[in-house]
Amino acid sequence: MERWHVVTAVVLGYLLLTLVVGLLAGRRVSESVEGYVAADRQFGLLTMYFITGATIFSAFAFMGGPGWIYSRGGAAFYILSYGVLGIAPWYFIGPKAGRLGRRFGFVTQAQLVAGRFPSRSLPALFALISVAAFVPYLMVQMSGAGILFNVVTEGHVSFEVGAALAYGVVLIYVLAGGVSAVGWTNVLQGIVMMALAWALGLYIPMHLYGGVGEMFDRLIEARPELLTAPGLDPAGQPWSWGAYSSAVLSSAIGFVMWPHLFMKSFTSRDDETLRRTVVLFPTFQLFLIPLFLVGFAGVLFGSAPETPDHIMPHIVLNTGLPALVVGLFCAGGLAASMSTGDGLLHGAASIAVEDGLLPFVKLNDSQRRFLMRALVVCVGALAYYLAIVQKQSLVALLLMGYGLIDQLAPPVYAALFWRRATTPGVLAGLCAGIVTNVFFLVRADLRPFDIHEGILGMIVNAVVLVVVSLATKPQPAEHADAFVAAPEHPLAEGVRAGT
Amino acid sequence: MGVTTARRLAIAFFVLQAIAVTYPGFLPFSRIEPRVFGLPFAMVWPTAWIVASGLVLWGLHAVESRQREE
Repeated sequence: MERWHVVTAVVLGYLLLTLVVGLLAGRRVSESVEGYVAADRQFGLLTMYFITGATIFSAFAFMGGPGWIYSRGGAAFYILSYGVLGIAPWYFIGPKAGRLGRRFGFVTQAQLVAGRFPSRSLPALFALISVAAFVPYLMVQMSGAGILFNVVTEGHVSFEVGAALAYGVVLIYVLAGGVSAVGWTNVLQGIVMMALAWALGLYIPMHLYGGVGEMFDRLIEARPELLTAPGLDPAGQPWSWGAYSSAVLSSAIGFVMWPHLFMKSFTSRDDETLRRTVVLFPTFQLFLIPLFLVGFAGVLFGSAPETPDHIMPHIVLNTGLPALVVGLFCAGGLAASMSTGDGLLHGAASIAVEDGLLPFVKLNDSQRRFLMRALVVCVGALAYYLAIVQKQSLVALLLMGYGLIDQLAPPVYAALFWRRATTPGVLAGLCAGIVTNVFFLVRADLRPFDIHEGILGMIVNAVVLVVVSLATKPQPAEHADAFVAAPEHPLAEGVRAGT
Repeated sequence: MGVTTARRLAIAFFVLQAIAVTYPGFLPFSRIEPRVFGLPFAMVWPTAWIVASGLVLWGLHAVESRQREE
């Protein structure tokens, strides 16, 4: 038996296991929109911890993280910094959103914002931004899976077939089980990707260079410019501090604004679960360290991969590791890709129906679920077609996605924390933010201090939101209070209602 | 410590972190020496902030839980 046979068998076994877990999990929830989108609000700490971690760390972290270290050195340290900064606000926002969701029946981020700022165009805009940002992100995950499959089977399984196999499995369990399947498969996938990253990250420097310290001794001799921030730009020239710093801030602010992640605050059982998830998140974040070590190991490695993003599979394949380990590594990479892709697929379909259609068309619960499932198939097929068949370049689209998501932050914060904010203010701010973001994306040469377009858009967004809100009629005090005060204990809520 | 104080301190910590891991706060620490467990200091610095964040969040959560029980 050749090596690629064993590798393929291990990977197929893993895919089968994922499928079984997904299908079993889907049987645990009710047949309703609340079951399909919010898992009947029953996720406990274990599921929430892995759903958060595995959703956030995608194929980008698993392949792109080491790739950035390999080609751009310390520039990649920004990925270390934004995660924890980004999740920290969720300690306050998550439980509050979750409480409002339980009280008013919200299952998406836009429903929460439109609950505070009644408008039909607001959720439609949110839906548009979400889908525009999700599709390229999903495309990246799919091509990540395809590349991984192709490389570890030494070309015997094609890019197209690899991506189709992995995402066929995702499609089946998302269709059958909705977010419950997403959650429970993420527990499995989170464990696999973390275990693999730590094992390889510590083993490879040891095996190749005799230890982590020894590896860095040699790097200090050979490539010291890779060892400090802000590192290098894609062309290999020193990166600017403006770009490095605003990359940290833009990603941190946008972090929990990604709708598929924000929506997970509606899936948790209670406030306590959400808070504990945030407290534990830094342990997940540390899994970037071993991935970075593999990237650094690649710098000194004898041969170079096709592109920097292939450095991780390149090293794994060329250090004489047993076929079983190569197969498990591929499973870990697929886990990273699929555990993000499933959430995106499910999120895009749920959001398109709940926010894009529901405000305009009357639909009952079973029609909504049917449409969501139909859209899961459509979005999956569209992303597969664009990424795999057309092999579209994604970089520009993906960059636009990150900036657009930042624009959701001012409306969400205003909905939860600012009594004086008004619907026209939020709408005007959001539109101004999107326009600014797109303008500086296209005319990158005009950006002041090389600052990320998402941050520039967000500044304009926030200023317009405040100015227009102050110029328009305030909302009735008790309406605004229901969102801004959002009492923490059911008891307090009762007392308030009684007075 | 009361919940409000704990929350304010935690928020202050994260604002400080945002400055410390970007320009100009990172500037004096973006260097190779001193090395910790063989890693260059520029990599240790953001890592240390991750660990500290975990401790701060854990502390905040402990204060809030105790308050809720009372």
